[in-house]
Amino acid sequence: MRWTRRRLGITLLGVMGIAIAAVPFLTDDRYLLKVLTFVGVNAIVVAGLALLFGYAGQISLGHAAFFGLGAYMSAYLTTTHQTPWLLAVLAGTGIAAAGGLLLALPSLRLKGHYLAMATLGFNEIMSVLFVELRGITGGNNGLSGIPFPSIGSFVIDTPAGIYLLVWGVAALAFLGAANLVRTRPGRAMRALHGSELGAVASGVDTTRLKVQVFALSAALAGLAGALYAHAVGFISPTQFSLEFSILLVAMVVVGGTGSLVGPFFAAVVLTLLQYVHALIPGLGNDVASVIQDWEVDISGMVMILTVIFLPGGFAALVRRKRIGVAVDGETV
Amino acid sequence: MDSAALLQFAIAGLKNGAIYALVALGFTLVFGSTGIINFAQGEFFMLGGMLAVFFVRLGLPLPIAVIAGVLATAGIGLAFERLALRPRRDSGPLVLIIITIGGSMVMKSLSRHVFGGSELSLPAFSEGPSIVVAGAAIERQAFWVWGLTIIAVVGLTWLYSKTKFGRSMRACSLSHEASRLMGIDTARIVMVSFGLAAVLGGIAGVVVAPLTQTSFDVGARIGVKGFAAAILGGLGNPIAAVVGGLTLGLVESMSIAFISSTYKDVIALVLLLLVLFVRPEGILGRATREKV
Repeated sequence: MRWTRRRLGITLLGVMGIAIAAVPFLTDDRYLLKVLTFVGVNAIVVAGLALLFGYAGQISLGHAAFFGLGAYMSAYLTTTHQTPWLLAVLAGTGIAAAGGLLLALPSLRLKGHYLAMATLGFNEIMSVLFVELRGITGGNNGLSGIPFPSIGSFVIDTPAGIYLLVWGVAALAFLGAANLVRTRPGRAMRALHGSELGAVASGVDTTRLKVQVFALSAALAGLAGALYAHAVGFISPTQFSLEFSILLVAMVVVGGTGSLVGPFFAAVVLTLLQYVHALIPGLGNDVASVIQDWEVDISGMVMILTVIFLPGGFAALVRRKRIGVAVDGETV
Repeated sequence: MDSAALLQFAIAGLKNGAIYALVALGFTLVFGSTGIINFAQGEFFMLGGMLAVFFVRLGLPLPIAVIAGVLATAGIGLAFERLALRPRRDSGPLVLIIITIGGSMVMKSLSRHVFGGSELSLPAFSEGPSIVVAGAAIERQAFWVWGLTIIAVVGLTWLYSKTKFGRSMRACSLSHEASRLMGIDTARIVMVSFGLAAVLGGIAGVVVAPLTQTSFDVGARIGVKGFAAAILGGLGNPIAAVVGGLTLGLVESMSIAFISSTYKDVIALVLLLLVLFVRPEGILGRATREKV
């Protein structure tokens, strides 16, 4: 029985992958491609956050800052030092990972949810630094003229090319994460989410594990940020606010614990929420601006209602139907 | 730097510190009865100031508007606990924390819709020029800040140590199960502690509004600082929250005096991380060992 379900799941994922890859060949609407590229960028961040929240049971309110770190690092290196694109993106990923490590080490040594507050503070600090370190970040004006992705003389400068690049990385991120949760560290993470005491008693170094997962998720956020910078060509401090961090948390919470597919779909839906007018051609600009205006309220309410009525998120809803056993987000 | 200028900075530090202390007290209260960090604490601060301005604009006299602002904030705190947290009160801390994060998101965003996105200001509680002490000028509003902080600390200490209700709260912080078995209505304790935390946040927000102006997005930053103050002193008792708040305020204003004002907000977080690293139980806290 399990075998056929597994095959069904893989088939569905394959169809989805082909559909995503086919988009740029079906449309040449530049705006639509750009919006869908943003969805891919957010999906990369969510792959890491889903591991951190849904498997390791930790909340981060600072992933917009890691995203910003990656974006600024890569943008700065390519615009002022003419660093090759690939190196700059790697540097952006690296600095975000280092920042994550630095933040997680002190706060994860403690029981309780100090990390969430420390990450919130970190996001506020980075918001100040993105504005104040003008020599590097360009202050409130931000950085513009960020070059397109390129390797050697091969430049990816079409919306379709950038779309495929971002979604390729997103696919790799999710495949990597899916692999990780099936291996030993993945089982350790699940044990940790179930009961920290139990995990410790079974020989899991929980602190080390949490720090590693946090650094990995920060690295993915930095990578996504770097890709974003080269996709849009312009970045400014307001794009990396606490609000974005909380929105990312809303995506994984709504998507569900112990799942990668759930957070992925939540990321798609919640990101598209602010760009509905790109998807539905008949929709007037006034409707779109109302939705954009109320986006945070909607996401916040959806997050609260999910946690109250659907503990474990939408992924648990699907799982519950399938297995026929109540799965509580807390006690999986 | 001459001594009058230094005194001026110290006074500014103690004034901000008292505000941090009030916010820290709110964290301490909720942490005490539920064991969770309430991420909406900073929004209570924001709501206090914004609602008071709103009531002044409705035409209410200032004292009434201020009290109404604090009471309305308390109402929101109670309603938030009853509607959003109570349904999941038997869940682990992670779930409850997420609800407070969602709550702060909605409170902040709704405030922008209701009160607008611009900075608002409230008239000072008592009019008149600043009072000059040894060459340093002190705004009259600062005395309101200190006075209300003292009242809040004395009131809370009294509540904790002398009343039956306070003893129930302390029992809750040790064990909900045991408290329930002893006949304590734990649900009521949790709700009231959210109400009181909202009152403290509201008072802080309303008393500082004439000094700094306020807007819909001030909650997160004051929340982090209040939490840093609570951790600095040691999460748990009211006196520690005040010691933490005043220390943080002084460190911050001395860093403005001797380093730069640009990075004053950075100081609070660095201090928070240092304390978490070196002495997680805070200045006055007692070390506890987690048994495995």
